[in-house]
Amino acid sequence: MSPKPKVQVAREHLTKAQDEAAGGDPRDALQWGFASLEAAIDAIAAARGIAIDEKHWKRTEAARSLHATGVLPKDLSNLHRSLNEARKAVFYDGEDPDLGAVSIEDVLSDVEDAVVAAEAEAT
Amino acid sequence: MDLADAGVWAERLRFDRARAARNQPPELAAITATVEARSRDVGARALILSGSTARARRTRVSDLDYHVIGGRPEIGHPTEDIDLYCDDAETFMAKLRSGDDLVHWSVWYGCLLFDDGVVQSAATYVAGHDGWPDASRKVRQAQSALGFTEQIVDSGDRGAALEQVRGLLSLTARWLLLAHDVFPLSRDELSDQALDLGCVDLAAALHRSIHCEPEFDELATGVRLVKHLTSLSAARARRARLPSLMTTAD
Repeated sequence: MSPKPKVQVAREHLTKAQDEAAGGDPRDALQWGFASLEAAIDAIAAARGIAIDEKHWKRTEAARSLHATGVLPKDLSNLHRSLNEARKAVFYDGEDPDLGAVSIEDVLSDVEDAVVAAEAEAT
Repeated sequence: MDLADAGVWAERLRFDRARAARNQPPELAAITATVEARSRDVGARALILSGSTARARRTRVSDLDYHVIGGRPEIGHPTEDIDLYCDDAETFMAKLRSGDDLVHWSVWYGCLLFDDGVVQSAATYVAGHDGWPDASRKVRQAQSALGFTEQIVDSGDRGAALEQVRGLLSLTARWLLLAHDVFPLSRDELSDQALDLGCVDLAAALHRSIHCEPEFDELATGVRLVKHLTSLSAARARRARLPSLMTTAD
């Protein structure tokens, strides 16, 4: 298998996240949602020459700067950071996702904004 | 050694602070100073620098790990990947008693940066009760993570797949080590520990997931290896090989 373009991966991961959320599996919905957001940020960052170097904190910073420059409609840096913490708790500790007062549907709606922006960047 | 003795514990604090200073380049030390200041600001009772930095075994994939007891500091916009584990004192002790390996790791191998006595009490408890982390938690976590990891390897997202497989292999190594009375150290040390235990395939796969750039086929093999090992008892898994990885020399 060869790696797929990040923009394609971002959409496919989002679809899986939405399917898992609809199917009542918040753990996998969160993990796919985080993977989708990371892939979307990677795709936009690559198009704009922002170095990510497979570092989560650089993606957080990219999410902030991409909003500041009008590429992303919202600042998703806090969402990226909280999803990263939540998915590690799910993966390593087997905990249920803790998103505070935010629903998984709200999270995935924000992630979709990033995916749409990545798709716009690619066309 | 009497861990409840104030002089003994003060010496550990001095030793650990010196170790933390030695193990961090200036840019990491600056982040740690910020985390310490913010932890004190929120009234935390103890702060421990943990993980690969505490062990002086950082790699290109290392995070900067901290365990804060009694508070959750806001750390702003760090220029490193940071893992901040926060527990209140009661939860910290409850996790210790229930065999949470992360808490045990912090108590025994972390660099203690400050402590009002809560970590000292934890260490005294473990020493007095011959405490040991619960290996079965790690195999359950590995089994629980298998499905998502398998799917992400199949998804064509190589960066995410590598990170997940590395995590899965680490969970599996920690399970087998704990089950055979070996305390798992930092991630980069796990492969040598697994090799010493006789887990040849697991050691090689974990080492390559940290230091190399394995392709999808190799990542998929890593997932199959974990699936195979976690289907066995710890005693059998220690000696098990994945048939497709065995050569005629085996």
